[in-house]
Amino acid sequence: MVARGHTAAAFVTRKSGRGVRQCAEGRAAAGALAQLAGAAAMACAAAGLLLFGGTAASAASNKVRMTNLSDVAFGTIANLNVDAVRNESLCLYADTSSLGYNITATGTGAGGAFQLSSGAGSMAYDVEWSSAAGQSSGTQLTPNVPLTGQTSSATHQTCNNGPAATASLILVVRSTALSSAAAGTYGGSLTLLVGPE
Amino acid sequence: MDHARFHRLCGACAAALLMPASASAATQGSLGTTSTGSIAIGASVPNRVQLSGLSDVSFTNQDPATPAANAQNVCVWSNTSTKGYNVTASGSGTGSAFMLANGAATVPYSVEWSGSSGQSAGTALTAGAALTGLTSTATNATCSAGSSSSASLIVKISSANLQNMQAATTYTGTLTLVVAPE
Repeated sequence: MVARGHTAAAFVTRKSGRGVRQCAEGRAAAGALAQLAGAAAMACAAAGLLLFGGTAASAASNKVRMTNLSDVAFGTIANLNVDAVRNESLCLYADTSSLGYNITATGTGAGGAFQLSSGAGSMAYDVEWSSAAGQSSGTQLTPNVPLTGQTSSATHQTCNNGPAATASLILVVRSTALSSAAAGTYGGSLTLLVGPE
Repeated sequence: MDHARFHRLCGACAAALLMPASASAATQGSLGTTSTGSIAIGASVPNRVQLSGLSDVSFTNQDPATPAANAQNVCVWSNTSTKGYNVTASGSGTGSAFMLANGAATVPYSVEWSGSSGQSAGTALTAGAALTGLTSTATNATCSAGSSSSASLIVKISSANLQNMQAATTYTGTLTLVVAPE
C-alpha cells in the first residue's frame, strides 16, 4: 500500500522536480517492502517517460493549500508615533502548471474592512502580502479583492519538504490610526482565501 | 477535602495559570480548489497624552501700570476613554515657584489653564500641583487634524509685581508643563 501511494504521486507531480523526490521516496518504501520493489521501479520508470514525453503540465491538480498561519499579537504598542508592524512566514502551496495563486483577505470590519475593535471603538490596519518568506513589507491588499499573479515555491503542500515557508503576511497598524485610537484592547480576525491560477 | 486531593487541585490551578491567556485561534487551510485560513489579531493601546503647540512667552517694555498677560492656544491630546487629563506646572524659582529672575532680583508670575482654546483667563495653577478633571477635544495627537488647539495657557504678571521690577532689566525663567492622562 505504501509503494502504491508513492508511485501514484510520482505520476501527478513532476512539474517542478517533485516527481524525482517522490519517486526516490517510492523507491525507499518499496525497498522496505521487497515484494513491491518491482512495481515501484516500474512506476518510477513510467514517471520518467512521462517527464520526457512533455505531458507533465496537464497533471497539475489545480489545488492550493495555506498552512502555518499564526495569530498575530501586537501586544501593548508603546510608541503611537511609529507604525506597528508584524509579519509571519507561512506555507502557500499551489499545484498548478504555473505554481500560481491568488490571495484574498477579509477583515472583521464593516464590509470586510481590516479593522480591530474595542467595544464601540475601532482601529484600522493594513494587510500586505509577499510571495516570498521572511518579508516585512509586501503588496498592500484591499479587503475582498484578490491579489493575483502570485507564485509559490512550495514543493510540499505543508512545506514539510523543500522551503519551510513560501509567503509572508504583513500586518501594519499605522501611526495615524494608533494616535487617533482610544486607549484599550483591540481584537479582530483576518480570513485569507487562496485560489489557484 | 483531604490534603492529597487539595494538592492535586492546586497543582491543576497552577498549571492553568501558567497556560497562555488564550489558545491559538489560527485555522489552517486544507488542500483543495481553494484554501482558507484565518488568524486572530490583538493589539493594546495604552493611555497616552501629548502636549504640543507651545510658544515662548515674552513681555517687552511692559507698562507697570497695566497687568501683563499672555494667552496662547496649545494642543493637548488624550486617548483615554474620557479624553481626560491633568496638568501640572513647575517654574524655575525656588521650590518650582513661578518666578522670573535676573541674578538675585526676582519677580513672580501666575499661570492659568483652560481646557478650551481661545481663552484669556482660566483656572489658576499652583506650582507642582496637578489641575485635574480636564478634558481634551483634540482628535489628533498634535492637532494636525480636527481642531488646531484644545487648551489655553495664560501667563500673567500683576501690576504690583511689574512695579517691583527694575527698568531696562531682563528677567527670565522657564515654565515646565506636565500633562498626564485621566
